[in-house]
Amino acid sequence: MKLKPGIESLDTDNVNVSHTSPLREFAILLVSAFALLALVYVLLGLLIDRAVDWIDPATEKAVFGQLSSALDDGTPPTNAEASLQDLVNRIQQCLDPGYQVEVDLVAESAPNAFALPGGRMIVTQGLIDQMESENGLAFVLAHELGHFANRDHLRGLGRGVVLAALSSIVLGTDSGLDAVFAPASMAGQARFSRERESDADRVSLGALQCHYQHVSGADAFFRALKTAGYGDESEPAYVHFFASHPDVDSRIASLKRLSREAGYASGRERPLPEALQ
Amino acid sequence: MSQLAIFVVLLALGYGFGRMAESRHYRSIVEREQRHARISTLTLRTLESEPATVRRTQLVSGNVVISVDYFKRVAAGLRGFFGGNVQAYESLVDRARREAVLRLKESCPGAAHILNLRVETSSIYKGRGNGIGSVEVLAYGTAVYFDVE
Amino acid sequence: MMMTNIETVPGKTISSCFGVVSGSTVRTKHAGRDIMAGLKNIFGGELRGYTELLGESRDEAIRRMQQQASQLGANAIVNVRFSTSSVAAGAAEIYVYGTAVVVE
Repeated sequence: MKLKPGIESLDTDNVNVSHTSPLREFAILLVSAFALLALVYVLLGLLIDRAVDWIDPATEKAVFGQLSSALDDGTPPTNAEASLQDLVNRIQQCLDPGYQVEVDLVAESAPNAFALPGGRMIVTQGLIDQMESENGLAFVLAHELGHFANRDHLRGLGRGVVLAALSSIVLGTDSGLDAVFAPASMAGQARFSRERESDADRVSLGALQCHYQHVSGADAFFRALKTAGYGDESEPAYVHFFASHPDVDSRIASLKRLSREAGYASGRERPLPEALQ
Repeated sequence: MSQLAIFVVLLALGYGFGRMAESRHYRSIVEREQRHARISTLTLRTLESEPATVRRTQLVSGNVVISVDYFKRVAAGLRGFFGGNVQAYESLVDRARREAVLRLKESCPGAAHILNLRVETSSIYKGRGNGIGSVEVLAYGTAVYFDVE
Repeated sequence: MMMTNIETVPGKTISSCFGVVSGSTVRTKHAGRDIMAGLKNIFGGELRGYTELLGESRDEAIRRMQQQASQLGANAIVNVRFSTSSVAAGAAEIYVYGTAVVVE
């Protein structure tokens, strides 16, 4: 048997590796993955919208009621809370989500309000502090009631849960891929959220007209946010892409446009109830 | 937002340094393979006709652990989603195995042949559970030294 | 290309020997198959997707090894061994190697 030079001596291409450009392969894979994820997200979104329409308010209250009451601080309602509840009750006559919405006031300085599944609304003290008239406050409360009526709190929850499950099942948690898709799904969620916010603004404006027979003071909250520096113009444009709410200026503008189109009246604003001043 | 920025930076670093390390490693592998081509490696247990008397034999081995870079890991993850040849890891595995055999040869410079070469892999990272990928190769065989070259 | 996992090709004599040739692959199945395999883990039974994957990987690795052998001008590979590694989760990584020879 004769020994001859082995494979090391040949100057041929290495057969054990592919010779395509890794960057090109990466780009193709990334684009297809994004396309696939977008498709799945849209389809699941439609599915959730159908499912949410199928759950009636009574069922929602029964399912999430326990969670919602677990959030109750247990203390008897203060004067301020009672006064807020009264305002909500009055607006509910114009905008009924299908169940009694309960309001909680929390001592938090950032101006904000949330709609939680099961018919609980959280309002921060910071929000009350920003308000000068009852109409301005009523708009924010009606906006949250609008979320309840549109079932947005359920849609948002459903999408969040589905997206999280999808990304952990399909992409795994250690592949590093979640880092690629997290910003993408965040942007998708934000766009969905901005649409829902705009719609809640529209519904809220209608409720204000119904309750006060005019819509003056509707944009009070946004104007207050602007003076407080929340809608700062110095933010780069891409921030808007990831923001879950439309920016303050465009919300004020769209409120003006909506009330002009619907022919809503303007009138005198009422002062805040005494307990809230 | 910052998450995305960190990701892009890691990806670029992984790609840049990974490519650099890989091409440098391949250059060194090819150069050393030619230098040590005189030592033939066989998976056979015996040589049927021996040209000279055997002076001594010795069990020799070489091993190497090569890490995955960030770019390769993400590319492989994406490929895993669609299925097919994982191009990113092919070169990694190839490099590791050739390097292990080279180190084996370098440990016995005077040998004429390596008989019954075996290549094994282990997995140090697996138990760590932190998702750090590496290729770990152990090559071993019997080096045969002859009296007359 | 003849391949054996013994040191000779029975009935023939090895006339020359080229040293080790090898082929390796890292392959995966798409995510759908991975999910199905996860489900199968509950009920047990053969993971057909992965059986297929292992087969494909093995064939591809053998093809690459044979390519190296024919580049050298060999007509047989003796003492073929398989080895596996595990870099990527859910991927089949096959390494096959043997000695390229000419038999008569």
